[in-house]
Amino acid sequence: MSASKRTLPKLLQTPAVILLLIWMLVPLGMTLYFSFIRYVLNSTRRPEWTSPSLSNWRGFGNYEFVMNSKDFIFAIQNSVIIVTCILLITVILGLGIAVLVNKKFPGQGIVRVLLISPFFVMPAVNAVLWINMILDPVLGLNGLAVNGINNIVDGLRDFPVLGSFFSLWPELEPISFRATQTSKYAVIMMVAWQWTPFAVLIFMTSLQSEDESQKEAATLDGAGAWSKFINLTVPHLARPIAIVIMIQSIFHLSLYAEIEIVSRGNGNKNLPYLIGEFANNNIGAASAAGIFAVILANIIAIFLLRMVGKSLMD
Amino acid sequence: MATVSQQSSFSKIAWPVVAWIVALIFFFPIFWLVFTSFKTDQDAVNPEFLWRFTPTLENYTNMTQNYDYWRFATNSVITSTFATLFALFVGVPCAYAMAFNPSRHTKDILMWMLSTKMLPAAAVLYPMTFLTKNFLGIFDTHFLIILVLCLVNLPIVIWMLFTYFKEIPKEIIEASKMDGVTTWGEIKDILLPLAWGGVASTALLCFIFCWNEAYWTVRLTTIDAATLSKLIEGNRAPEGLFFGRLSAVSTAAIAPIVVLGWFCQKQLVQGLTFGAVK
Repeated sequence: MSASKRTLPKLLQTPAVILLLIWMLVPLGMTLYFSFIRYVLNSTRRPEWTSPSLSNWRGFGNYEFVMNSKDFIFAIQNSVIIVTCILLITVILGLGIAVLVNKKFPGQGIVRVLLISPFFVMPAVNAVLWINMILDPVLGLNGLAVNGINNIVDGLRDFPVLGSFFSLWPELEPISFRATQTSKYAVIMMVAWQWTPFAVLIFMTSLQSEDESQKEAATLDGAGAWSKFINLTVPHLARPIAIVIMIQSIFHLSLYAEIEIVSRGNGNKNLPYLIGEFANNNIGAASAAGIFAVILANIIAIFLLRMVGKSLMD
Repeated sequence: MATVSQQSSFSKIAWPVVAWIVALIFFFPIFWLVFTSFKTDQDAVNPEFLWRFTPTLENYTNMTQNYDYWRFATNSVITSTFATLFALFVGVPCAYAMAFNPSRHTKDILMWMLSTKMLPAAAVLYPMTFLTKNFLGIFDTHFLIILVLCLVNLPIVIWMLFTYFKEIPKEIIEASKMDGVTTWGEIKDILLPLAWGGVASTALLCFIFCWNEAYWTVRLTTIDAATLSKLIEGNRAPEGLFFGRLSAVSTAAIAPIVVLGWFCQKQLVQGLTFGAVK
């Protein structure tokens, strides 16, 4: 009796498993196939390459082509740098802010609402808003603020004594965040702004379950606020930190909209963006780059899932 | 003793002040977006009118004409709602089976599901376009976007539900088995009422992720099923042009989800744990 009763509940997970299996295997299989053949969207010289066929077999040629392309290593480095920076900023800021708003104070509810709002903003709006209205070197607040500082300094030059000090002050130039060297930081800034609230949300929930008596005991033993934070709160938050890191890595490794809107990948390609560029014509190369991305994602996934998975079942 | 009380009275004032300042800094970009949306396109780029200007609703009244906002908004509502419902419909039974009838492989299956989320979308974009356009003929349909949004979020939905269901004592479910309740009855009458808060937070987060999704929705649609993400990404103006109207349509694009988030803030603060809290 119990055997038949047990089978049905177990079967209930099959629809989800099958759906995800199809979702994963079919496109991945096709990507794998395309990565071994010559396949381009437009070619007047070699029209036979414009439709996928086994007779256009190229072996590992696409992989070589991708590895030798000048942006490939850069894109991988850049993917890792962007994700790492965002993770560092969001986790550190998130910890600080979560502790800050966990105490009771007047207007706590409103403060929380204001703080978590950025998390609800869609990436496209986030990017448009930051790059145009805030970071633009002429029309954005960035340019206006730098102009304002320059004007104040100009005014101070006329003062006696202090004026000679301010006359040494250089005229400031607003930074253009669409430029090759800086577009990365614009993306990091806007994504960190959006995802810090997510970290805050998760840390806040965990802080509420912290053992207060332990902290009181530590206070009686003469522990300072900082040492309590490092020795009691941070270890208590180890698991939430792992989860924040994992979920954010999932989302940020495939960052695309922000990079596209900020600089069209200028100076700031990550792997998904590079694949997108290949895919404008050379599907074979895009697929090979895609397989590299899958490998990279798997390396990171194994690492992250180990970290979180260990304690998931107990 | 004196120093301690002095410190605490200082922190009583400083603490909320710092918290408020941080909150206002974080909220400022959103405020600025809404603020700019009440300026005309000319005023929006003129530093003279940075703070003082004559507010106008013109950007909002012209939104339908300038951007065809409502069609995109309707598409967003339809696809996000049905994708969330569908994800719950598939996810609840799955999480139920995993939480109450776990096998040796449950953890591996769960981890595998999450790993599908790490598959870079860009790697499989072309095959997806190819399949949906040439073979299935469902490119740029609501059905496709609903399906894709559901599949993209399913791993997270199942994981969240699983962590909530795991907290429910097994005895309650076992007891109902003794009473001869069917599996469906167990889910509907016992599990869902008990885990209601968790299911609601899951649905909410899934809806937010669906609404904000900006890769598939942009690339698997042209017009018919295009969502607000596509509207904004497609209409981002060249530098300095149309800041006013762009702000208005951006505000309108994020407003539904931000307001929803505000109302459900309590639910999110208590519910969003991903099993991080024991």
